[in-house]
Amino acid sequence: MTSTERSPTAPVPATGTAGGHGPGAAVRLPDYEEVFADPERVVPDALVADAAQPLPERSGARAERLRTASELGQPDRVPVFIGAGYLVTEMGGVTRRQAYDDPDLALRLLLRAADYYQPDAISGPWHHPGPSEALGDRSTRWPGYGLGPDGSFQYAEAEFMKADDYDDFLEDPTDWALRTYLPRVFEKLEPLATLPHFGMASFGYYNLFHLAPMASPGMLEAAIALGEAGRAQKAFTENAVRASQELVAHGFSAPPRYNFIVEAPFDYMSDTLRGMKGIFLDLRQRPDKLLAAQQKALRIQLRAARDYRDRLGGAAVFIPLHRGSDGFMSLKQFDGFYWPQFEELMLGLIDSGITPWVFYEGVWDQRLEYLTRLPAGKSVGLFQNSDIFRVKEIVGDTMCIMGGMPVSLLRSGSREQIREHTHEVCERVGRGGGLIMSTSVRELESCDPVRVRAWTDATREFGVY
Amino acid sequence: MTVELVEAIADMRDDEAVPLAERLLEEGTSPLDVLGACREAMGIVGQRFEEGEYFVPELILAGEMLREISELVKPLMEAAGDVTKHGRIVLGTVAGDIHDIGKDIVFFMLDVNGFEVHDLGVDVPVTTFVDKVRELQPQVLALSGFLTLSYDAMKETVSALADAGVRDGLKIMIGGGTVDEQVQAYAGADAFGSDAMAAVTLAKQWVGAA
Repeated sequence: MTSTERSPTAPVPATGTAGGHGPGAAVRLPDYEEVFADPERVVPDALVADAAQPLPERSGARAERLRTASELGQPDRVPVFIGAGYLVTEMGGVTRRQAYDDPDLALRLLLRAADYYQPDAISGPWHHPGPSEALGDRSTRWPGYGLGPDGSFQYAEAEFMKADDYDDFLEDPTDWALRTYLPRVFEKLEPLATLPHFGMASFGYYNLFHLAPMASPGMLEAAIALGEAGRAQKAFTENAVRASQELVAHGFSAPPRYNFIVEAPFDYMSDTLRGMKGIFLDLRQRPDKLLAAQQKALRIQLRAARDYRDRLGGAAVFIPLHRGSDGFMSLKQFDGFYWPQFEELMLGLIDSGITPWVFYEGVWDQRLEYLTRLPAGKSVGLFQNSDIFRVKEIVGDTMCIMGGMPVSLLRSGSREQIREHTHEVCERVGRGGGLIMSTSVRELESCDPVRVRAWTDATREFGVY
Repeated sequence: MTVELVEAIADMRDDEAVPLAERLLEEGTSPLDVLGACREAMGIVGQRFEEGEYFVPELILAGEMLREISELVKPLMEAAGDVTKHGRIVLGTVAGDIHDIGKDIVFFMLDVNGFEVHDLGVDVPVTTFVDKVRELQPQVLALSGFLTLSYDAMKETVSALADAGVRDGLKIMIGGGTVDEQVQAYAGADAFGSDAMAAVTLAKQWVGAA
């Protein structure tokens, strides 16, 4: 868990206006049709028809296609969502760091990739190192921050919460987070550890007696770092909104808006707090505390998601599931420690009018039946390595299925294998609707763009209802 | 008495296992016998894992028990001499990838199953793998990776080993995250495994230590 290099200051991305005359304009991107030429390509009829449509109608039809499928309906054809990730920078021949530092360039890369594939929706790198850099984040590595300029973002799991911290967490999770957890994760927030208990904040005037630590130089630096992180995040969000608008203007659907993340309560306690080793020891050694902490995590997240809905009109959240899949824990453990709390979270969100987009990481083949207990048509399931045909069989009436194309096949399979698999997925998983064709993970780095287009083309060829 | 230790570890009674080991040592049981009991227990744990009774929490708890018992045993071991190992394995997470959780579990399972395992850590450059294989002459190389990016690093590592003339006679297994048969073929590895016990089974097959 050591960081090898760290840039001294966080470059805050500029927020230029649409069209953009920022530094990105200076980078020449190659002609994709030339560099990624494909003499064997036959343009699918569906795309020929799309091209004849005026941009606003085309964009509307694509959005409608995605919406219909996401609500378990049958659109005119299987929609394609490309979680391209760093593939967009590779296609443009620029480093990942360059794209992070130059939002105009990032936007052009995304639009050029969209033009090449003509998907219904597409996303590139979906988050930004700015906030992590500003705060001296010890839990992530980014291109140019802990990694070379062309590295891949990675989350560096560690035991930031110790077993001994459970009592404090249960007593007052907010105070524990502010004074114990944040200083451990973010270098620039170490001075928060010197502050008095935040529970005393409601002591009003009398609590001012304890404010002296606020005057330390470290606290001032922490406040500045927080401001920088906030600015970086604000700029990134504005750029993301601009990218959505530009995609729509170019005839694509805006990507699904689910950037608010919540987690299954078990994963909430595991991913950023206890780490995998810690959480699995807790499961065996302090199950009662783990269960109590999960209840806290459940209520906090439901509250936060509702706040998000009210403040920003966010109607969707993303839930990446990590440790509940086949192989990590037994079904008995799943029944006690994972499923009930996750189900309660799902029902709470759905009752609040929020659509969960759930990433079922790994393989869920042994526990797909549980998912049928969720209300029909109210969530979307992104499936990584589960048997996608069984997924359709078992949860096809419960949720829209997103996925179908393993990145491993896209990376190393032949054109024929890719087309054959796509055909089968369209026929069997697409049957009756409720499928958004996508890849097993939203990251296509190192994939051959020609093969990727063979897949998206094949979906338009075989996925017409 | 060592039977009780075997059972305590295998049945996940961690509050009993460590004090029991301590008592055994105090009462004169040889450290090698205590370690032998640990190994026997891990055989049962591995079997229960393969049968689907135990999962990762049990592997981790067993690991904790073994770690604590090893600490008790270690100071007494110098006089006792070395334990013979089944075979030598070099292990690491490939270049560009810093994930260590899966690799660490594989290390632990190979180690307690009697292999001499050299862990090169994470984000291991291709040249380091080549150098270490040349230096240590392992029978098995185990490559780990979680990112999809790791497919290429695995492929590069395998072909660099071939270029360096050290691929022949070396068995290469890969594992982690999204690794499957397709990736195995792409990388040019000899096998892939989807969990830590698969690594043990493969290694035993390959070095003939079943």
